[in-house]
Amino acid sequence: MTTERETTVIARTVTRVVVPIILVVALALLFRGHNLPGGGFIAGVLTCTAFALVYIIYGRESLRTLVGASAAGDGVLAGLPGTYARLFAVGLAIATGGGVAAMALGYPFLSQAVLYLSDVPAVGAVTKLPGIGTLELASAFVFDVGVYLVVVGGLLTIISVVGSE
Amino acid sequence: MQPSPAALLAALALPFLGAVAAPAVHRLLGERTAYFAAAVAAVTFALLAGQYGAAMAADPTASGVSYEWIPALGVSLTLYLDGLSLLIGFLASGVGVLIFTYSGGYMHGEPGQAKYYATLLAFMGSMLGVALAADLVALFVFWELTSVTSFVLIGHYQRTDSGRYAARKSMLITVSGGLFMLVGFLVLAFVAGQAPELTRTLTLVGTPDSLIANADAVRGALEARGLFLPVIALVAVGAVTKSAQVPFHIWLPNAMEAPTPVSAFLHSATMVKAGVYLVGRTRPLLLPEVAVPDWMLLVATLGLVSMAITAILAVGATDIKELLAYSTASHLGLIIAGYGLATEYGAEAGAFHILNHAVFKATLFMVAGIIAHEAGTRYIPDLGGLRSELPITAGITTVAALGMAGVPPFNGFYSKELLFEATYDIAATEGGLFWLYPAIAVFGSVFTFLYSIRFLMLFFGEKPDGLHAHRPPWPMLAPPLLLTAVAAYIGIGGIAGSFGFAEWPLVSEFVAAVTNASALHALEGGFTYYVPTTLSPYFAMSLLTIALGAVAYPFYDRIHAGVRRARAIPVTSPNVYYDAALSGANRLSPVAAETVHNGVFRRYAYTALAAVSALALGGYAATGATLPGFAGFVVSLPLAVVLLTAVLGAVAVVRAPSHIAGVLTLSILGFMIAIFFVLSDAPDLALTQLLIETLVLVLFLLVLDKLPSWYGDLKRREVAADVLLSATVGVTVFVTVLLSTGATAPNPIWRGLAERAPVPSEHGIWILDAGGGNNIVNVILVDFRAFDTLGEISVVAMAAISVLVMVGMRGRSEDVETDADTGPDAADPSADGGETA
Repeated sequence: MTTERETTVIARTVTRVVVPIILVVALALLFRGHNLPGGGFIAGVLTCTAFALVYIIYGRESLRTLVGASAAGDGVLAGLPGTYARLFAVGLAIATGGGVAAMALGYPFLSQAVLYLSDVPAVGAVTKLPGIGTLELASAFVFDVGVYLVVVGGLLTIISVVGSE
Repeated sequence: MQPSPAALLAALALPFLGAVAAPAVHRLLGERTAYFAAAVAAVTFALLAGQYGAAMAADPTASGVSYEWIPALGVSLTLYLDGLSLLIGFLASGVGVLIFTYSGGYMHGEPGQAKYYATLLAFMGSMLGVALAADLVALFVFWELTSVTSFVLIGHYQRTDSGRYAARKSMLITVSGGLFMLVGFLVLAFVAGQAPELTRTLTLVGTPDSLIANADAVRGALEARGLFLPVIALVAVGAVTKSAQVPFHIWLPNAMEAPTPVSAFLHSATMVKAGVYLVGRTRPLLLPEVAVPDWMLLVATLGLVSMAITAILAVGATDIKELLAYSTASHLGLIIAGYGLATEYGAEAGAFHILNHAVFKATLFMVAGIIAHEAGTRYIPDLGGLRSELPITAGITTVAALGMAGVPPFNGFYSKELLFEATYDIAATEGGLFWLYPAIAVFGSVFTFLYSIRFLMLFFGEKPDGLHAHRPPWPMLAPPLLLTAVAAYIGIGGIAGSFGFAEWPLVSEFVAAVTNASALHALEGGFTYYVPTTLSPYFAMSLLTIALGAVAYPFYDRIHAGVRRARAIPVTSPNVYYDAALSGANRLSPVAAETVHNGVFRRYAYTALAAVSALALGGYAATGATLPGFAGFVVSLPLAVVLLTAVLGAVAVVRAPSHIAGVLTLSILGFMIAIFFVLSDAPDLALTQLLIETLVLVLFLLVLDKLPSWYGDLKRREVAADVLLSATVGVTVFVTVLLSTGATAPNPIWRGLAERAPVPSEHGIWILDAGGGNNIVNVILVDFRAFDTLGEISVVAMAAISVLVMVGMRGRSEDVETDADTGPDAADPSADGGETA
């Protein structure tokens, strides 16, 4: 996509407002995925649309400074694709690592568990409802974070490589 | 009696550990790595020798040492040590010590020594694995490992064409033979496992359930299904390719490209013995007690014919290593023939000749190495009269070559005499065509005698002008000297036997144990051998062989020329067929590749889509699936509006005037499907569909600039084909959706998943057997089917990497291509991959 054509002020302003909201929604989808519609995959795709929006409206360079990637160079992994590639590599490592951790505890590969705590005072204080302070910590969330990172990293790699053509 | 598990495991692991350490050791010690490797082999030998007592008292129903390997498939690492495996183990480690020592002299100044010693040690370990493994799968793995290490060693001089040709030839023949053997093993284990009186096992020997411990029942099960002969044939193909028997003997002479120590070790004493080992090991399983078993008709005939043909070919050799290679194939034929004959003497002949052949042939190979190294040539006509300059080597050769010729009282005589005895006995009892057995045995042995004497004459007679040999260094002389001492010791045992020493120390007990491993019944009265003092029919056969050989020897050159002329006729040589098959395959593969992988995107799409449709529709037709009825089918108004909009969008895509319009109208379709999901109470699907639709739209917009706006006019035929394919794919998808949603299993899987997904009503702090989440879709994704998800995200990562490599690096290859691109036709059509849409 060429950046010769200037994007309109409206588009730029809307993007500025919308992108943080998209990212927050994406995180919310990720966190609530276990009990409500959402999950790592959807959250990942949503995050990608936010980045794609910045990319289309503001161009490659601003996205690069936003992400904090190194300047584009000769290598395939220089610049944005390198950052994204690291992202999905880390994600894959997290997802696999969680599975291996289960093996280390003597369960089959990728077994998941849930820590279910009731009457947690802190949660009760937040919800302001007496006796409802339950806290559920699912180990599957670690795996979901891995999925999220792989989807974000993988899709953004494809977008940035194809986009820079 | 069970051998010590620790000793067996250590003996098996040590060579491999040595192989891993070899490169580092080579950095430290340089050429003295040879002595490190020899030390490893010596320790292995000592470990095995320590189990001598256990091996002599081995019990095929109990002495195995088992370790779990792949318990789900019933594959174990079962180690079993009896006389036969100990003999092969001794050959691998004992001859190994000598070969490593010899290499210290021979490989002086040669390139690639770290690789050489590492591979040779790994080979030694693999060979020990073949000898010790009693599990069929483990045996197969070690078997192929010997082929792989042999490939590397034959191709040691990897820059030479002949080296590469030889390595590839041996690899192709031995590995494909091994695959036949694997099929045979699997059929054997599978059929035996189905018999009611047998437990399912892959263990060949050493446990109460093992196949050999229940040999009669296994044979019965195989015969009941008519698979007895096929199993024998499949296992025999494995043995015959490995042991270089006719018509698969052709790789062995080429394998002489390897450095001579490798030839002496792999291609005379050990690796080629794997085939005869297999025959000896499976003999008690596949040889029933009937007068004329299939086993004998197949194996003994094959062995005898190979023995005769390769002996004739050896006479036609002009290179001393080539002569020894054919001779090896011939002697292996003798061993296989021995094991093939259904008499006690046959098993004795096979067992004793493994030992004798390894001793004299490894010696002769080392002698050949000395000649090549010190005289500078291996061409037989250029050699002669070396006795004066290499007196010790001449002495060694005399003992070894006369043993090879089968002249009493040298060691090879006794085992050959046993073969004569076995063939004579069979012929005398069965009569008729079975008289061919002793006839072929004598005929082949005459040629053996001829080439053995020819080899010996390298040291005698007149010395050609200009031939000079230096004294070999001690590391090259001591190993063959030691082996010659062993050969002489065996020979003296025979003379002592004639004077009443029935049991010759070490040899008698050991050979008896080796024989028992492949005999149906234990030998009565042990194993004895001696130089005959009375004229028995078999001794007469031996004398006839020697007499005929002596008469024919003056005409050696004429016979030699005759063999070479016969060999030059193309149809007589399996090499011609091998080369033709190989070059045919070479020509075929680019043609096949260009047809299948021609770089035109249209063809890939057509083949993939048409194949999927055909398979799916064919599957439905074959299973007689019927479409569910539409009775009670109601569509609400909102749903109807949404679906109608989607259909309109689909029509608009086809009519769209530009790419942008096409993509936008396509997303109308996508978004309508998302709304459809919302209306059908599937929020997760709706969310995913919506997001994917958005992302795809963005991606499309990114690449639209790059696409040409006009593809040119389509031919009417292409349009028709496109329509046909689209319609087929549409029908397939439609039918699939209808069938899969209409089908209801009696106990659908979602019920169980839905029960286990939420937090159970009673639970502790830790919930392990339930998902603990209300969103069943996500619980399935990250918990119940997490392994599938892991696969999917791996695919995402792989796709990203592929895009990075293929698109991101394309610039580089294009630079290269433009440099090379001189004409319009110079561009490789496949280089652009899928870009040529």
